[in-house]
Amino acid sequence: MNAPDADAPLVERVKQGDVKAFEMLVVKYQRRIERLIGRMVRDVDLVPDIAQETFIRAYRALPQFRGDSAFYTWLYRIAVNTAKKSLMELKRDPLVTESARASRDEDEDNPRVDNEPSDAATPDAVLASKQIASAVNFAVEALSEDLRQAITLREIEGLSYEEIAELMNCPIGTVRSRIFRAREAIAARLRPLLDTREGDRW
Amino acid sequence: MPISGFDDSTRERLSALADGELDPAASTASCAAWGQDPQLRADWHAWHLIGDVLRSDDLAADPRHDRTFSARLAARLKAEPVVLAPASLAGAVGSRFERPSRRGRWTAAGAVAAGFVLVVGTFAVVRPGDSPPAQIARDDVAGAIMAPAVAPAPVTEVSAQPVAIVADNKIIRDAQLERYLEAHKQFAGTSALGVPSAFLRSATVDSAAR
Repeated sequence: MNAPDADAPLVERVKQGDVKAFEMLVVKYQRRIERLIGRMVRDVDLVPDIAQETFIRAYRALPQFRGDSAFYTWLYRIAVNTAKKSLMELKRDPLVTESARASRDEDEDNPRVDNEPSDAATPDAVLASKQIASAVNFAVEALSEDLRQAITLREIEGLSYEEIAELMNCPIGTVRSRIFRAREAIAARLRPLLDTREGDRW
Repeated sequence: MPISGFDDSTRERLSALADGELDPAASTASCAAWGQDPQLRADWHAWHLIGDVLRSDDLAADPRHDRTFSARLAARLKAEPVVLAPASLAGAVGSRFERPSRRGRWTAAGAVAAGFVLVVGTFAVVRPGDSPPAQIARDDVAGAIMAPAVAPAPVTEVSAQPVAIVADNKIIRDAQLERYLEAHKQFAGTSALGVPSAFLRSATVDSAAR
């Protein structure tokens, strides 16, 4: 079944020259894309680089995206191709990692310290991920029945507001507000884990 | 609670945008607000992280990593020429706000369902209705696709036992249809005519083996 793409409004914004809308899509899909690439590429340090490359390629190709498939399906394909290409380059030239990093640092405004181990691999990061997963699950359990049902139907079942309104027998406006309040309630429990340090803001 | 320059209604609209449930004009305003306000960006990240974790625990990520990633990418995007595809203003990308796409979805679903009915219907007409293996086979198909399989059931009986049907089914009383069924009964290979076709026999064996 060809469900309407929830990303269509943002994709449309990007096509009209709104770079921020693309950043919004990056924030949304970065974890899924990195997980996908992580399954294809053994070297954990390479994953964020290939994911970056994926998004840059997607951005460049976006004017050609006709919306025949969902945006994520299209992005997924780009990620797979980018990862395959990187793997092939790695086979041809094992030093490509180093050179890719060198060139990356040149065009970066505020480069991170390169010898720092990738934060995706550190025990701290693993612990942080586990804490977040348990905080989310705990917070969902603590929601009222209405809020939990609304957020679950949206995020897990992928239903539209209209479909949720039918199922919950309430107006669409109520669905929208319930989903927002559910997100707020869960995010409130996450805040201690997500809180940004000074100078390290979104 | 961190202070945002925007009120709850702005944030609720951003939440709706996250679900693709905001009209284009409001989407434009929400994107602009997102660009200005660090709290809205933090919300946006938290909401999507929540969604990811709800779908799969292994998508939980260290927020510092996510932030580094986004900041790096934003810096790289600055070096990119701005994407402009004015043709898309007409709306090449389907959204929830375009009614036709929604109707298309149901039309497609209906077409698929109708297709199943057709397939099962054909299946049923060709088979001898009295044969238990055939019955099982048809039930298998019916089980797989659920509701639509109910419709063709009487058709099975029509091909197998036209006489009985005339007695208790008003719809089949049409003389022309009966002649048609009579004429085609031989091709259906029913037991009434004796030897079933080779094709049918193999189908029956197949289903019995299940």
